[in-house]
Amino acid sequence: MKKPTFPILHVWLDELSEIVKDEGILIFIILLPIAYPLLYAMIYNTETQRELPICVVDDNMSARSRDFIRRVDATSEVQVAAHCTSMAEAQELMRRRHVYGILRIPAEFDQRLWRGQQAVVGLYSDLTSMLYYKVEYLAVINVAQELNRNIKVREHQTNTTRREEQLARWPIRFDEVKLYNSAGGFAAFLIPPVLMLILQQAMCLGVGMSMGRSRERFRGLVIPPTRHYKNTLAIVLGKGLVYFLLFMLMAFYMAVCVTRWFGLPQLAHFWDLLGFFVPYLLACVYMAIFWSSFIYRREDCILLFVFMSVPLLFLSGVSWPGASIPPLWRAVGAVFPSTWGINAYVRISGMGASLGDCRQELMALWVLAGVYFLLSCFVYMFEIRKAVGRTILG
Amino acid sequence: MLKALWHIIRRELRTFSKRPIFLVIMIVAPLGFLWMFTSLMQSGLPTKLPAALVDEDDTHVTRQLTRILGTMEETRFVMQTPSFTEARQAMQRGEVYAIFRIPKGTTEAVLTQRQPVISFYTNDTYYIAASLLMKDMRKMSEMAGLAMTRETMRARGFTDDAIMGTIQPIVVESHPIGNPHLNYSVVLSNLIVPGLLMLVIMLTTSYALGMEWKRGRQLKLYNMAGRRTWVAVIGKLLPQTMLYTIIFWLIDLVFYSYLQFPCACGVSRMMLWGLLAVLASQGFGLLMFEAFPGQMRMAMSACSLLGVMQFSLAGFSFPVSAMDEPFQWLSNIFPLHHYFLIYVNQALNGYDISYVWPHVIALVVLILLPAVFTFRLTNAFLNIEYEP
Repeated sequence: MKKPTFPILHVWLDELSEIVKDEGILIFIILLPIAYPLLYAMIYNTETQRELPICVVDDNMSARSRDFIRRVDATSEVQVAAHCTSMAEAQELMRRRHVYGILRIPAEFDQRLWRGQQAVVGLYSDLTSMLYYKVEYLAVINVAQELNRNIKVREHQTNTTRREEQLARWPIRFDEVKLYNSAGGFAAFLIPPVLMLILQQAMCLGVGMSMGRSRERFRGLVIPPTRHYKNTLAIVLGKGLVYFLLFMLMAFYMAVCVTRWFGLPQLAHFWDLLGFFVPYLLACVYMAIFWSSFIYRREDCILLFVFMSVPLLFLSGVSWPGASIPPLWRAVGAVFPSTWGINAYVRISGMGASLGDCRQELMALWVLAGVYFLLSCFVYMFEIRKAVGRTILG
Repeated sequence: MLKALWHIIRRELRTFSKRPIFLVIMIVAPLGFLWMFTSLMQSGLPTKLPAALVDEDDTHVTRQLTRILGTMEETRFVMQTPSFTEARQAMQRGEVYAIFRIPKGTTEAVLTQRQPVISFYTNDTYYIAASLLMKDMRKMSEMAGLAMTRETMRARGFTDDAIMGTIQPIVVESHPIGNPHLNYSVVLSNLIVPGLLMLVIMLTTSYALGMEWKRGRQLKLYNMAGRRTWVAVIGKLLPQTMLYTIIFWLIDLVFYSYLQFPCACGVSRMMLWGLLAVLASQGFGLLMFEAFPGQMRMAMSACSLLGVMQFSLAGFSFPVSAMDEPFQWLSNIFPLHHYFLIYVNQALNGYDISYVWPHVIALVVLILLPAVFTFRLTNAFLNIEYEP
């Protein structure tokens, strides 16, 4: 070749014009990355469960038990939706899913407290969702601790000054700080990983479909039998560039627009984001090209790639803590860019980490990009040889 | 007619044996996920999560405090440093999920009764880890405060009963129903493994049907079935039904008999719901194929876009009741949502099935609904060609 840039440009234009004409590919590379983040953000937009209906069985009926119930009702987490006279009645409401928890105050609640004994309050939670248990437990334990302090100070200890009273309440003060997701919300936790996963999955689906179609059209070959498709490097770079540029746009759409529209944390600087997206998208593109070379029909890629999304999210270690994942599965996860990409993006965008803080992830992404790039080159070298053999024979 | 059905079934089985992708997707993948998720979450509840300890004081008093903190179930201090910045950087590098900070002057404040403040930072971008650590920390902080008062009261000669009645008069006893150890693996595996199988079923249903159009054999199939659409469809899908039901039952056996996950209703009952879930997922896939008759790619795209969402809308990690109303409605079209609620009702809680009958009905509706739109398939058999 005299002009080495020419074949790249040619492949690039070819691929671009092909995908623009193909409705099936457009769904996955345009519609999916644009619409899916919005959908997911809307699902989790409420961030947390508020005013979860629970019912109360008050076997004590004293001023103190009513005070306890009122305080529980006043929390933002739960609301007392029903007062039942017996546990049987409460259980029935729970089975009917009218309430998601039962708070039971025992018969001698007030009397025991006046006698200076411990009184045990029962909390029964429905486990359809783990969040139900969490919010109910938080609401009740907060109220109980508050009342405990009052009882301790007012009824058992004689304090002379207000300062002494305060000390008796809180011998040590504790400060709880939720970093990087101060509301403890679900969207801020789940959406950033999902965004990165969508990028990778959409890329795999788009590239897979395009390659499957080539194979269908050119009798099992992934490249058209024209003279421009003789240079491995040009093909791999040209094809990769199409998806790389397009998904760079999508990545910034997610990191800037989606994140801003839904008020998700974004602490990253432009250059940090860019420094992360370049290796991540390169690794994704070439992984997609490599795996797609095993696809012989365009619809097969949907079968192969779609259901990987959920396991990949788990392997990344954002939901199930990465420290608790067995080494075997950590090794499996290391093969996919999403595992590293999700962790790096969460830190860069959500926690304001610098690129240096994510050195390990970025290195892994560059290594993956390099390995998949080489593998893709081998695939195309093999395919070119096959194509040449065929043209000679045919 | 039975003969025609049998011919179509045999033809379908031949197709399976010729195409390795079918075997990989239909058998290897679901069983692989079964293995993956049960071994991934083997520990049930994650314990000993890495945290950092910032002890700016470093005296014998704070060391005693850190020893108490070190006994916590969920926490393991992997890093001890006098500098908060260093700990924060470790958090940003993802090495620790939480920081426990004892500020300078704590010892002095304790000794002179000046109410020291101790801080605890969790990284809530890792939601589960942060929630677990926060729970641990709340318990410990409360206990540490109480322990101080207890020592004073013991010195004054109170009995232990009286002391507990003073420092912790109201005790909250929590009973997570059906899963007392809060074993994440139990509920999560029960949602995700069947959920992935159901997603695979939806996809392969529209894939297997679409393949006929793709290979241009839809008319041949239609004639083989004696020009009866329902014979053609049942013949195509029955082999899958059997295969998937066996896999679903295998999952049930592994969960409830081998791994001993709680199952209050008995394994056989869960197998019945499994069968219903398999059929409902096939119904969903078929419905999508009827929505885009003969257009394999569109049907599969719809199945995958909706099918992946069903994991979120089943409502285990984030409850459906907390979502906006449109999504609460949307959740009803997914077989996984109904199956999950039936599972919770039956296996986890052991309630009577009458409490979730709407969900059973919903599954049955998903199975039967495709029959209403058979005419669209008939039309597709006769008039619609494959479009790439």
